Amino acid sequence: MPEMAGLDEGTPLFTQVAERLAAEIADGGLAEGARVPSTNELAAFYRINPATAAKGINLLADDGLLEKRRGIGMFVAAGARQRLLGQRREHFVARYLRPMLTEASRLGIGTGELIELIGENDQPDQPHRDSRSGVTV
Amino acid sequence: MTPAIAVAGLTRRYRDQVALDDVSIELDPGSITGLLGRNGAGKTTLLRILAGQEFPSSGDVRVLGQPPAENEPVLRRMVFVREDQAYPDIKVGHALRAASWFYPNWDARLAGSLAADFGLRPKKAVKKLSRGMRSALGITIGLAARAEVTLFDEPYAGLDAVARQIFYDRLLAEYAERPRTVLLSTHLIDEAAALFERVVVLDQGRVVLEAAADGLRGVATTVSGPVLAVEDFTAGRPVWDRRRLGSQASVVTVGPLDEAARARARSLGLDLVPLTLQQLVVHAAGWPAASEAAEEAEAADPEGVSA
Amino acid sequence: MSTWIKVARYHLVQPIPYLLVTWWILAFSFGVNIAIYALVPNSDPAGAGSVPDGHYTGALCSIFLYFLVLGVNSIGRWLPFGLSLGVSRRTYYAGTALLAVVLSAADGLALAGFQAIERATNGWGVQMGFFRVPYLLDGPWYLTWLSSFVGLTLLFVYGMWYGLVYRRWGLIGTIAFVAAQVTVGLAATVLVSWAHGWTSVHHFFTGLTAAGLTGLLAVLAVALLAGGQVTIRRAAI
Repeated sequence: MPEMAGLDEGTPLFTQVAERLAAEIADGGLAEGARVPSTNELAAFYRINPATAAKGINLLADDGLLEKRRGIGMFVAAGARQRLLGQRREHFVARYLRPMLTEASRLGIGTGELIELIGENDQPDQPHRDSRSGVTV
Repeated sequence: MTPAIAVAGLTRRYRDQVALDDVSIELDPGSITGLLGRNGAGKTTLLRILAGQEFPSSGDVRVLGQPPAENEPVLRRMVFVREDQAYPDIKVGHALRAASWFYPNWDARLAGSLAADFGLRPKKAVKKLSRGMRSALGITIGLAARAEVTLFDEPYAGLDAVARQIFYDRLLAEYAERPRTVLLSTHLIDEAAALFERVVVLDQGRVVLEAAADGLRGVATTVSGPVLAVEDFTAGRPVWDRRRLGSQASVVTVGPLDEAARARARSLGLDLVPLTLQQLVVHAAGWPAASEAAEEAEAADPEGVSA
Repeated sequence: MSTWIKVARYHLVQPIPYLLVTWWILAFSFGVNIAIYALVPNSDPAGAGSVPDGHYTGALCSIFLYFLVLGVNSIGRWLPFGLSLGVSRRTYYAGTALLAVVLSAADGLALAGFQAIERATNGWGVQMGFFRVPYLLDGPWYLTWLSSFVGLTLLFVYGMWYGLVYRRWGLIGTIAFVAAQVTVGLAATVLVSWAHGWTSVHHFFTGLTAAGLTGLLAVLAVALLAGGQVTIRRAAI
């Protein structure tokens, strides 16, 4: 479906709107105390129904990540970034770390070897040879 | 809160066919609802009855609290953009001027701006307009009327994709500025899906699905991969549309998949692709209790699942 | 009431068909006729102020026929968009009838005016009776006005009926409508013949003045108007 600025089909739109705003806050793009785009602005940007956008904002507001200032709009609450980063860490462990450990154990890679592999591969911006294809990435 | 549109037990019979069969719907004021279904499902008939252009055979129809037929106080607050509106031998400018006299909320500036966006020239005879331009005229009138209840019946016949996008964007902008009750019938479902708060799906004159649009996202997923893995993963889940080619299978499973299930699917080497709203509607004809599945995240057991 | 006026205005949003064409037809016909009258020598010079018999053109019937066409179109062509603008069928009908009445009154007055000029100029200087029709439109100006007003209205409303019948019952219905009228006419003829009543009928009509006829036609027009108002209720668009 073309026009929703990258929103996908699989999860409710309001959840995705909330997630995107949360990501922006966690990444520092939306600083604490900064004004969050209005419902209508979000609706126009994503080309979705304003009620859906409002639901997304309310989701974050209910969590205490956004606060409403009457007559002005929604603003990022103090401490929101920290909380979101904390949530992301937990999510990182559940989504990536544990499955990695499970897979490693299935492949017979011990913890020590695992740490070595991490060290070898922990240079994300340096070009290195991909061992399988021989191509420098 | 009085529903903006309330229909109960609505039936419309013609000599040899039943166009609407015991339809009951309620729409809240200030919402955009999609009216979906195949050609001939009854969408146009329903809209015409709501607009007072046709009369029910039986049942109760209320718009803004009152029956719409021949009811001017209600008709004045409504606008109906039909796909095949017939016009007299007048020019585009005449049509817009006449509309401005009848709609209390008419916005002339908006009409001018929309006409310009669509490339409608006031001096052009309506009879000489292409199908797409006629649709554009209908849409211009429908939006500039700023009516409390705005009904669209496949309003973009002949409009190219760019013009359609203009329509969606303008509709959203106008709706954001001045909320109203919008009922939009379309068979280009995926294009318009993000506009809808709710959808109503008709099939052969009956309502087969009525749900929040967001609730329908992720309610069904295509699971594909090796046959055994697919069977294993979908064991105990309601399933539609089994397909098989050699050692690969693809199946549609109903019911939301949580993080654990997704991880399991990944570990089994399966691909998960959520069904789009359009694909869901295509299946909905054989899925009478689909509303439940959509609204109760836990329940995943609709009756009458078609294979 | 104000909605009726809006409907009438709606018909006039394009002024040409309802307001101008009538006069274009008349002007053209007048032009042709007067050219003929000017060119062909006067075979029967009568006294000043009178038009010899046979020097009446039948040209006026063209605009009466045109009003019939306007009536048909007012429903056939103009109804769908009009109804889509949010008026009830009854209001649409009433507004259209209002237009018909006002238009007929105005055009009728103009006809009476032209008739007066024609009399004053001795048939436009060539003894042509364009705006006079023997017996029907030959009396004082106010009678001419009344008769043309009723005649034009009647034909417009009759045309509306055709538009209505077509909308509600389609082509078959329209044919049936015509057939029904023919049947009624034939039945009446048969009845009168059977009752040997032709002399009475003859007496009735010869005794009928133009004013009387106008009155009859007015009653007919009102009946048609009322009937149309009822018929339009279930018209589909």
